[in-house]
Amino acid sequence: MAECHPVGFRWVMEAKRRGATIIHVDPRFTRTSAVADLHVPLRAGSDIAFLGGIVRHILENDAYFKDYVVNYTNAPAIIEDDFQDTEDLDGLFSGWDADKGEYDISSWSYKGVEVAPSAGQREIFSAEPHSERGTTAGAERFDFTLQDPNCVFQILKKHYSRYTPEIVEETCGIPQELFLKVADALCRNSGRERTSAFCYAVGWTQHSVGVQYIRTAAIIQLLLGNIGRPGGGIMALRGHASIQGSTDIPTLYNLLPGYLPMPKAKFDKTFDDYVKFNESTSGWWSEFPKYIVSLLKAWWGEAASFQNGWCYDYLPNLTGDHSHMTTVADMADGAIQGYFVMGENPTVGSMHGALHRKGMRELDWMVVRDFAATETAEFWREAPEIARGEVRTEDVKTEVFMFPAAAHTEKDGTFTNTQRMLQWHHKAIEPPGDSRSELHFIYHLGVRLRKLYEDSTDLKDRPLLDLTWDYPTKGPHQEPDAEAVLREIHGYKVDSGELVEGFTDLKSDGSTACGCWIYSGVYKDGVNQAARRKPGREQSWVAPEWGWAWPHNRRILYNRASADPEGKPWSERKKYVWWDAKVGKWTGEDDPDFIPDRPPSYRPEERASGLDTISGIDPFLLQGDGKGWIYAPNGLLDGPLPTHYEPQESICENPLYGQQCNPARIEWKRKDNPYHRAHGDPRFPYVITTYRLTEHHTAGAMTRWLSWLSELQPEMFCEVSPELAAENGLTNGGWATITTARGEIEARVLVTRRIPPLKIRGTTVHQIGLPYHWGSRGLVRGDAANELISFVADPNVSIQESKALTGNIEPGRKSSGRRVVTSGRPVEEAVDQTSRDKAPAANRPTGGHGVEAGQSEEGEQT
Amino acid sequence: MTKESSRFADGRFIDPSVGVLSGEAADQKVPQDQDERAHSQGAAPLDLRDRPPEAPEDEGATYYDRPVLKEPVWLWAIPAYFYVGGLGGAAAVLGAAAQAGGASRRLVARCRWTTAAAVVVGTGLLIYDLGRRERFLNMLRVFRRTSPMSVGSWILAASGGAASSAAVLSGTDGLLGALGDFSGAGAGVLGMPLAGYTAILLSNSAVPAWKEAHKTLPFLFVASAINAGASLLEMTPLDEDEVRIVQRFGTSGRAAELLSGLLVEREVAANERTARAYKEGVAGSLWRGGEALGVISLVLGVLPSTGRLRRWASGITGSAAAATTKFAVFYAGKASARDPRTTFEAQRKTLAKR
Amino acid sequence: MATGFFTDTTVCIGCKACEVACKEWNQLPDDGMSFTGMSLDNTAALSASTWRHVEFIERPMALSEQQTGLGQFSWLLMSDVCKHCKSAGCLENCPTGAIVRTEFDSVYVQPDICNGCGYCVVGCPFGVIDRREDDGRAWKCTLCYDRQKDGMEPACAKACPTDSIQFGDLDELRERARRRVDELHERGVEEAYLYGVDAADQPGTDGLNAFFLLVDKPEVYNLPPDPVAPRKYAAAGWSSVAAAGIALGLAAVAAVAGSGRR
Repeated sequence: MAECHPVGFRWVMEAKRRGATIIHVDPRFTRTSAVADLHVPLRAGSDIAFLGGIVRHILENDAYFKDYVVNYTNAPAIIEDDFQDTEDLDGLFSGWDADKGEYDISSWSYKGVEVAPSAGQREIFSAEPHSERGTTAGAERFDFTLQDPNCVFQILKKHYSRYTPEIVEETCGIPQELFLKVADALCRNSGRERTSAFCYAVGWTQHSVGVQYIRTAAIIQLLLGNIGRPGGGIMALRGHASIQGSTDIPTLYNLLPGYLPMPKAKFDKTFDDYVKFNESTSGWWSEFPKYIVSLLKAWWGEAASFQNGWCYDYLPNLTGDHSHMTTVADMADGAIQGYFVMGENPTVGSMHGALHRKGMRELDWMVVRDFAATETAEFWREAPEIARGEVRTEDVKTEVFMFPAAAHTEKDGTFTNTQRMLQWHHKAIEPPGDSRSELHFIYHLGVRLRKLYEDSTDLKDRPLLDLTWDYPTKGPHQEPDAEAVLREIHGYKVDSGELVEGFTDLKSDGSTACGCWIYSGVYKDGVNQAARRKPGREQSWVAPEWGWAWPHNRRILYNRASADPEGKPWSERKKYVWWDAKVGKWTGEDDPDFIPDRPPSYRPEERASGLDTISGIDPFLLQGDGKGWIYAPNGLLDGPLPTHYEPQESICENPLYGQQCNPARIEWKRKDNPYHRAHGDPRFPYVITTYRLTEHHTAGAMTRWLSWLSELQPEMFCEVSPELAAENGLTNGGWATITTARGEIEARVLVTRRIPPLKIRGTTVHQIGLPYHWGSRGLVRGDAANELISFVADPNVSIQESKALTGNIEPGRKSSGRRVVTSGRPVEEAVDQTSRDKAPAANRPTGGHGVEAGQSEEGEQT
Repeated sequence: MTKESSRFADGRFIDPSVGVLSGEAADQKVPQDQDERAHSQGAAPLDLRDRPPEAPEDEGATYYDRPVLKEPVWLWAIPAYFYVGGLGGAAAVLGAAAQAGGASRRLVARCRWTTAAAVVVGTGLLIYDLGRRERFLNMLRVFRRTSPMSVGSWILAASGGAASSAAVLSGTDGLLGALGDFSGAGAGVLGMPLAGYTAILLSNSAVPAWKEAHKTLPFLFVASAINAGASLLEMTPLDEDEVRIVQRFGTSGRAAELLSGLLVEREVAANERTARAYKEGVAGSLWRGGEALGVISLVLGVLPSTGRLRRWASGITGSAAAATTKFAVFYAGKASARDPRTTFEAQRKTLAKR
Repeated sequence: MATGFFTDTTVCIGCKACEVACKEWNQLPDDGMSFTGMSLDNTAALSASTWRHVEFIERPMALSEQQTGLGQFSWLLMSDVCKHCKSAGCLENCPTGAIVRTEFDSVYVQPDICNGCGYCVVGCPFGVIDRREDDGRAWKCTLCYDRQKDGMEPACAKACPTDSIQFGDLDELRERARRRVDELHERGVEEAYLYGVDAADQPGTDGLNAFFLLVDKPEVYNLPPDPVAPRKYAAAGWSSVAAAGIALGLAAVAAVAGSGRR
């Protein structure tokens, strides 16, 4: 965190001054470790084993926060009788469908109930939607003594029973004594008086079990009562400014603003189908229709009416997986004509740069918007395969358009940070030359497209022509007014144009329009709430008047959990939100995240629906059952409980199960994406992990062109331990060549004890650390670490596995012109690929979700 | 480099069309080339080391062997000036003594001219070494008694004035002659500090090899100055009496130089690493060479001959010894500043005494 | 008012924001792009164009109150800067009066006067000030004289996210620093101490206006253990010069003696 988020780390240091214990878990000793109380090095890719060990420790020592767990989580819920755990199936859960190569999740459900995931069916493409939300969304049977062998608590206990300190040591390389120190510290710091917070940077998610990493942390936090309380939570420190904003109002292909799912062509054929499949009968998502109707009204204004389903059929529909890697693989297969790259440098920043370049070579056109001509913009004339003569510039047919972009100081707008807080930034200066903001680009692109089609009578052009696209512009370059956009995002009443109060004002009858329901409130009373800058010392410690946090300027989500079931604060010290019986309202330091007048004693009737289903002790409003999900009966594709699987490429067999890797992972089995052996590949004996440095920003477009930052980290380097250096003859300051089946790079060597070798099952495991900021352009240049990484993904969110893989390192500059696998002679060595999966998952159909990579289930897409 | 980036080639990355170049270092001149910039710094050059970036405990902690101190930025002109300036100082004193003792007027005049020339050449050397030569007059902008360089600048300026007027008036009689003698006497008085202040100039620093010799270095420098002055005069046409004077003067200087060299060695021996600075490397070779030349010149100087050959032989070796000694001290300082352990060693001892 | 820096190295995270903020504010150029192999430090030293420098010390010894799976290891991070000594070697050595003490008690080089004699460079016992060869003048931290004039704190202190660099009134800073040391001692970090906090602590400089909280020997941080402003030992040198000068006079007189031909 100190490495990549030094400004946010200010508050960690402040907490340390006030007596907090800082524990840092990382394969490397980083700037964070330098000031931590406890640093725990572990093998990259072994985190679930480590966290699972903590779960077991909590359970074995009865150290969980009982009142919290029993009342606020689904620990007492009873699960279907036919559910089988990884304990029973050696690493698989029940329900593996060998034909489809994925889980049928019906056996994971609450007993007798089909449960809806919290925000619709957005993750699942091929399965029939589990749409029967007519039933109660919560569990129907409970054992509040937590003794029933089929209750979540007992299943959890059994699932993690083998995650002993010995196993943690064997799997992660963490000495038991050190592990127990961490586990004890967390347990000691739990209960009414104390809380712990987890912070992670998004590298934690970059694994073929990435989502489950975070789930394991969530389980620990729920067991210890650390969610919804001050000083608790799980903080995702995002890789870029406003990455949180880019999922709220998404750049993701499968979401509409406010986490509304993108319609799926197969099922969501009409507006009614779409609502039926995505509305929840219970919990906050029962409000779903209000949000989608208001969104459609905001987009298509008067054209959207009840009769035409609010122009629902104007929305594009999903026909399959269009996530990043799938799209790039499709590009490489010639299935895609055009590509916009905005503020991203995928040939350096994303996995397997060579495959990206191969994909780009197959495009007809590509638009790049960035500060500088990045490696992505210049892929057609500067790349290893071009230097090697395998690709000739004149053969690249892609037409590339480079648009200079304005920096954040050159445009108005918001940043949304990890705690969902929006902060407005004002334009300080006009962007130089032809540089323009994204808002300018998109708005004027829209204006021009509409102009092109203005005489069209074709129905397919109606979505474009009916768009509300009337933002006021200002200045010499006709910059759209960003506040006008913010106003639309906030929402207004259609007839009067009057602003709504917040999302609770939104209606499903078409009388309100709102660009993103969760952001409703950001322009309350016509004031740009995100631009508020009242200093902390002039307001309460929660500082609600600094910026604006969604939803409803709420600073801690699910904060009902900061009070006990009776609505009283758990303790004076941790007082945050509580029930004021005299006024009959929730009150406190923050905006209560609960129905304001719902008493703690309220219990829904049997036939209740919508918001009435939320009982007085259901803090987790967005879940259908209002409880924190220790066990996820639905919504995940790779298991209801996190399970340790080895990375796609590992140095060892899975010490816990016969199943080596995540059975539901997405693979791209292509000649240009070769994998190593599942474990113990003699050609690639070392663990490689990649990361960022404080001095550069991700793929470097913002930093490698700046002298003051470039001089601080002027060259690509690799970090190796003195032991590995001695073993391989690497010298500090000298050169090394690092190879995987995908390619090879050269780097300077930094020999340091900060990346220690670990003992895994009696053998020494060396790890190689690679920062990934450099490319062939800019003031400082170097090879891109991501050339080494393969396409393989977590099934839930298609995140790549870039933090744990295997590779080799040799002294000297020994690359053969930086060979890449996408051109020239591919690696032909046959590699045993079966050992990753055991029966029945062994003979899985290839590709993600049973789909051969490069094609989606619907056939060719564009 | 693209057009866009060359606009910022000075490494500041301020676009003057939108930014105001008014920062404290805005007018710091830098090369427009990155690589040149990297190598234009005064500090010892960066070198990649074939060892883990962790200090070995046995040798005592340092920061990757990086120097604590900045290596003196002075060039060859500074030790050259030490030689020339010292020579001038010694000549001035000898001139004044000769003047007072009623020795040959020719010798007196020659001493005065020697001093005057030495001051001119020395000033030229000093200006040559300045970072901003056009500002050499700033040296006389203030008098700062804590700064030997300031004090020295005034001494040099005054010596220059006195010696040159004395030299010009050498051949005159009467009032002008008296004025000349007065100037000559003044130059003589100023010659005493002029011959030795350069030792303080060095030792009034943080550089171990210089500061740790601060008690004895003035003796070495003055002795060396005598040697230098005498050796130069020795090579000019002299009569027998003049030879005797110069020979005596030179012999005393050469002997004193050898002796004070030993004293300096003894003073710096308190710290082994500092002593090493005088024994090893370029400085060590120069130091030993200076000693050898000193011995040779001393022997040649006491030979009973007054012939030109002997005088030239001892004059050349003596001059060489005097110059070499000053270069040796200069480079010993540079070497000692480069080694952090040399700095630490001495300070650990003084700290322990407190 | 005397102002200065208290740099608490125990909370430094090595982010180098101070280095960049300093260069940006003062419009200092880069020092070239070279990989040093010295941990994550590629700046290597303070120089004429690097006025803040963050050190990365990989130390084969654990910190008290810290435990790591690496065993005997710790990583000390420290942002170094001009110390603005009470007895400043550079200032006292400066022959032109270019280096002055300001109303903020800081040591300031006037670039329009400096003639680049290089004497300050040898006078600094910390190796801070340096002459830039291309420019010809000596440069170092100004304690953001221009910002202070406008009532702002120096750029490095402003940018420091963890308050490792604290700026303020010196008396108050000293008090705060001593409290911090006590606090650390109470927590078991016995090795914490202040470097150069006042004249009693560092008589050679009469105390530093930019002082540090350290947890190991000064040498580890590339700081001299007993820095002394050269003026402090100048007297003995001048005595020697006087003695040597007299000896020179005597030698001259002796040489001349008996040669009277008048």
